[in-house]
Amino acid sequence: MPASAQDLQRLTVTRLTLSANTVAPKVEGPFDLVVTAHVRERVMGLRNLDLPILASELDVLGDEHSLVSDANGTTYTEDIRVVAHHSGLITIAPVTLDAIDARDGRAKRYSSNSLALVVGGGVLAATQTFDLTGVLFAALRWLLILAVAVLLVRLLAKRPRKPPPAVVPAPQPAPVPMVRPAATREERLRDARTVLEAERTRQNVLRIRTIVREMVGASDAETLADVLRRLEPEERLMRALLFALERAAFTHDDDLDHAIDRVILRLNDLAGSPA
Amino acid sequence: MSASPRVLADALQRTIVGQQGVVEALILGLLANGHVLLEGPPGLAKTLACRALAAALDGEFKRIQFTPDLLPSDIVGTRIFDQHESRFSTVLGPVFANVVLADEINRAPAKVQSALLEAMQERQVTIGPQTHVLPDPFLVMATMNPLDAEGTYALPAAQMDRFLIKVDVSYPSRDEELQILERFAVAQTQPVHAVATLADVCAWREAAHAIHLDAKLKRYIVELVAATRERETQYVDYGASPRATLAIAHLARAKALIDDRDFVLPDDVRAVAPLALRHRVGFNFRVTTENVGSSRVLDRLIASVPVP
Repeated sequence: MPASAQDLQRLTVTRLTLSANTVAPKVEGPFDLVVTAHVRERVMGLRNLDLPILASELDVLGDEHSLVSDANGTTYTEDIRVVAHHSGLITIAPVTLDAIDARDGRAKRYSSNSLALVVGGGVLAATQTFDLTGVLFAALRWLLILAVAVLLVRLLAKRPRKPPPAVVPAPQPAPVPMVRPAATREERLRDARTVLEAERTRQNVLRIRTIVREMVGASDAETLADVLRRLEPEERLMRALLFALERAAFTHDDDLDHAIDRVILRLNDLAGSPA
Repeated sequence: MSASPRVLADALQRTIVGQQGVVEALILGLLANGHVLLEGPPGLAKTLACRALAAALDGEFKRIQFTPDLLPSDIVGTRIFDQHESRFSTVLGPVFANVVLADEINRAPAKVQSALLEAMQERQVTIGPQTHVLPDPFLVMATMNPLDAEGTYALPAAQMDRFLIKVDVSYPSRDEELQILERFAVAQTQPVHAVATLADVCAWREAAHAIHLDAKLKRYIVELVAATRERETQYVDYGASPRATLAIAHLARAKALIDDRDFVLPDDVRAVAPLALRHRVGFNFRVTTENVGSSRVLDRLIASVPVP
């Protein structure tokens, strides 16, 4: 079940990989799957890390994880000791991590690489006796494994090269409601008008004033007069809106309602009247 | 209120060419009930502006030329013995007027300056056993000449602080000077007729006092004054006093009234801040030796405080 937005950690994920400690695991020979994640933040744990459901060919023998924090962030390592009971190709699904990307504030699902392993032959039993049929069967089995391996190599060679399988942000899932910034000036002004009409408060006036000042590139040190000096004369409607906002921001409480009416009027002038 | 302060400004502008800063400062001082210090070379219409203001208000105007041999009694008045009546009578000095021009205030010794500044602060004068209240409105405009420093007595910081506003009067532009030539070379200057009464001034002051100053702007004013104490410390020995905070608030309200608003805007605060801070900040010698200029440092200080 996907985590809700409130449960997600705010992380800057820099690495998420899945690997094995051997390239040629043997049947009944234990080996380790290693999950490594690195984030820039110093955290006590990774809450929404999902490990792959291992195929029935693999049995989990044990699990050990460690968390190391330093000035560069936190490195999470998990060793899963497994064993394969049959030879052949085993594909292990990617590890996923759900988090809010600290760089843009959006909820993302990070995925590691997947892993494909070819499990080789097992250890012969000590009591096994030599017979021709057995040798032929063994040779046939090895030939089959070799053919599958060659086929795999050829298939992989044909596929386009991918960048190293580190952090791959998955397509955006829907669980977290994100406020999409309005694309155009008109849209932003329309949003501002909707907010102000819904809640006619000085606090909202101040918020809209900040947005509009940003739109015209006003710095912290600039007063209204400074901004008006910079604006082109044809920006008449924007000038009127700026002055209306200034009045609504600083006038006395008795005049606030009239001042907000004036702001809404000016927003209509600039963003178009509501349908 | 029969007239607005804007009418007064327009009347002064009909007589004085340019010097809008001086005209506005005089009216701001009048509305905020404070005194104005004008610093500038001779011949820049400082006296004319004061005369015009008194005439436009239908008030009484007096001019005192400060000299090294001036006595306090020459300003506030004295008691003389009347031989016919065989008793002392009080002769009030020139400080008893609505608009007083203290010309070259730094040419008189400290005790004379103190006598005037005390009258400015207390708005009353004690001569002998009697205390005389000064007329209302009472506005002192003092001038200082920055060019002739020889034989002058610099005003101490504590006394400078008594002035609500200090204006640096600068030379007019070429166009303004041409206008001066055309206006004054042809005929006698047009006398200024009264456009407001002294009662109007009292009403304006009450209206200015009622103008809304938002809490965000009060914080802004405090931050501006604090900046003079904490920033640009390589050029500033001491910052402005809390009297500057009050002065900026009064002046910002007066500015809003002139612009016909009943609330103050950040622009009002920004416009009046240099007038209230210029003479209250102690700039050190580096401002001169490094050719930075106190105005530029003050502008930087003001610009360093974010506008609410």
